[in-house]
Amino acid sequence: MFLALAAASFSSRAQTNYEIQVYGAETVPPETLMVELHSNYTLDGQKYVVDGVYPTDHQEHETLELTQGLNDWSEVGFYVFTSEQDGHGVQWVGDHIRPRVRVPDSWGWPVGVSLSTEVGFQRSAYSTDTWTWEVRPIVDKSVGRWYFAINPALERTWHGPDVSQGIGFAPSAKISYDFNRVVSGGVEWYADYGAIARLGPIHDQQQQLFVVTDLNVSALWEINIGVGIGATAATDHLIFKAILGRRFDWGRHSPID
Amino acid sequence: MISRRDLLRISGFVGLAPRLTAFGQEASEPDYKIEIAATTLDLAPRQALKTIAYNGQVPGPLLRFKEGRPVTIDVNNRTDRPEVVHWHGLSIPPAVDGAMEEGTPAIAPHSSARYTFTPRPAGFRWYHTHTMAMNDLTRAQYGGQHGFLMIEPRENPAPYDQEFFLALHDWGGYLLASDDGAMNPSYTVATINGKAMGSGEPLRVRQGQRVLLHVLNSSPTEVHWIALAGHSFRVVALDGNPVPTPRTVPMLRLAPAERVCALVDMNNPGVWVLGEVRKHMHAQGMAIALEYENKAGGPQWQQPPELLWNYEQFAASAGAGAAAAGHAADPPTIIPLVFDAKFQGHGAMETWTINGASYPNARVAPLVAGRRYRLQFINNSIDDHPVHLHRHSFELRRLGGADIRGIIKDVVLVDARTRMEVEFTADNPGASLFHCHQQNHMDRGFMMLFDYA
Repeated sequence: MFLALAAASFSSRAQTNYEIQVYGAETVPPETLMVELHSNYTLDGQKYVVDGVYPTDHQEHETLELTQGLNDWSEVGFYVFTSEQDGHGVQWVGDHIRPRVRVPDSWGWPVGVSLSTEVGFQRSAYSTDTWTWEVRPIVDKSVGRWYFAINPALERTWHGPDVSQGIGFAPSAKISYDFNRVVSGGVEWYADYGAIARLGPIHDQQQQLFVVTDLNVSALWEINIGVGIGATAATDHLIFKAILGRRFDWGRHSPID
Repeated sequence: MISRRDLLRISGFVGLAPRLTAFGQEASEPDYKIEIAATTLDLAPRQALKTIAYNGQVPGPLLRFKEGRPVTIDVNNRTDRPEVVHWHGLSIPPAVDGAMEEGTPAIAPHSSARYTFTPRPAGFRWYHTHTMAMNDLTRAQYGGQHGFLMIEPRENPAPYDQEFFLALHDWGGYLLASDDGAMNPSYTVATINGKAMGSGEPLRVRQGQRVLLHVLNSSPTEVHWIALAGHSFRVVALDGNPVPTPRTVPMLRLAPAERVCALVDMNNPGVWVLGEVRKHMHAQGMAIALEYENKAGGPQWQQPPELLWNYEQFAASAGAGAAAAGHAADPPTIIPLVFDAKFQGHGAMETWTINGASYPNARVAPLVAGRRYRLQFINNSIDDHPVHLHRHSFELRRLGGADIRGIIKDVVLVDARTRMEVEFTADNPGASLFHCHQQNHMDRGFMMLFDYA
């Protein structure tokens, strides 16, 4: 998601961090709604208007993500992106929809595997590419206290300057360690290499590394907090991110279910 | 005070001495032969599974012993791993009880051994492997090594016309992240007597019969709830021991290793389903048809709306229990046992402790033969635990904050974050293993040895 938007802005060098998250393979259970609020603040970002896109410096992004479990192996997510910034106020940025399927646990695969696809629109004031599509394979694995996940996402712009770019490559990955039952800590890596057929120079690539913690306070809650630095000129240099999620089980479950 | 005669009797030195010997040293024919070997089990049409079983069948052969009459069983281990057969619920010496932790010798791969002991007490018992599975969810109790064992009493607890033995089991284990933040086994198939619904023979009955069901939960980790559509159960025994107050109930709950004996009056002709009450377990196959004579058609299921069960309903009525139990008035020695988990990561199963230590470091003071003990189970974990004491039976004495009497068991389910108290008499000297009967819990430290002084 984050990378979809980031890649959409690749030609304008704009930074658009709305959902900064490495996906795990698990899907939301059926009859369950996951409500997440992604809060990202760019402390040090793009300071100028580029190709009509507002600067990201000191932008506050609030993204509402609603994910509904369909069955034991699929879900669909819906996003509302917003931005708040001095001089622009609170603005609606766009919406995305994201269906996802996964390999059921009962198949006994040694790793978790799922496939996400995401389609959506964002206003040109926040991304030069307005209509984008992403396909994201997801592989993850928990081994004892360690957790590994990789999302080698592929992206396509449907409307905007990067239509001619073709398919973009925007991988992300996560490694974390469980210090105890509640507190995990680790690093998340996000990159955008531009067109997969002709990777851009390092100067134009986006490379970000976040130090994060996950707080597993309850099966109902999801809490992820991190701070990230951008390593290239095309990347926002300092971002704070937080994800607060809550599961709502709206099915009429009884002990016999 | 225990007499020398009692001590000799409970030690097994009266009559035929219990022993486990290498096969071939005995010339006489055994009462039973058990072969441990790989087999292919047809759980359902198009769903076969390779497992280890007794005599190529799941459950293994029904063994019928006479209480107090010595028996010999030759066990031939045709697998590549050491094996041992535990005679669950029997008061026999540790050398033959079938737990290597107590000192029962392992049966080496591709070798045989002879178990000789005097079976007691009477009732519905069972036998199963007592090996470790660790991360292999196809071995030990995850596999097919379990069978029924009936020690015939001098008098049956209740008259009946026909009896059925039913084993509940789960197969195809895989690890799944659970709400407790750790990995736990989950399953793809659930069976009764090794068959998923629709793939086995129905239970055939006649109108007017009184049927005695002997139900065993041989699952490695799962509690099961069983109902019979159109009928109710009259529970007469728990873990093979007659209950003081038989009750008619709509369903049975069995934790791993528990047994229930229940009478069912065949007074509602038709073709019915006996199966798991919970829908997801039912859908995994844990059901069997019950068919009245001259009745045909698809088996009918009536979904119970809720789960109903408690131990207390079978306890002795107030005032009657103490006399029935016949124990001395001296207060028992209290042994607190605190159960807790140790987190090992979201990608691992937890390890388990009793009084803060895992097996083999968990210890309490040695038991004194003849003395009465009260075990206080303090379950601080968020998991339920079906705990089992080898070679002894215990009496449920306190649960749900109330005193009860008269229910004798060898396995009891201690609910998460609750306390329960049981009492037993140290009347069977020798090492006695105490453990959670969930395979993944006993594999990871939830065991302790009681030694005798």
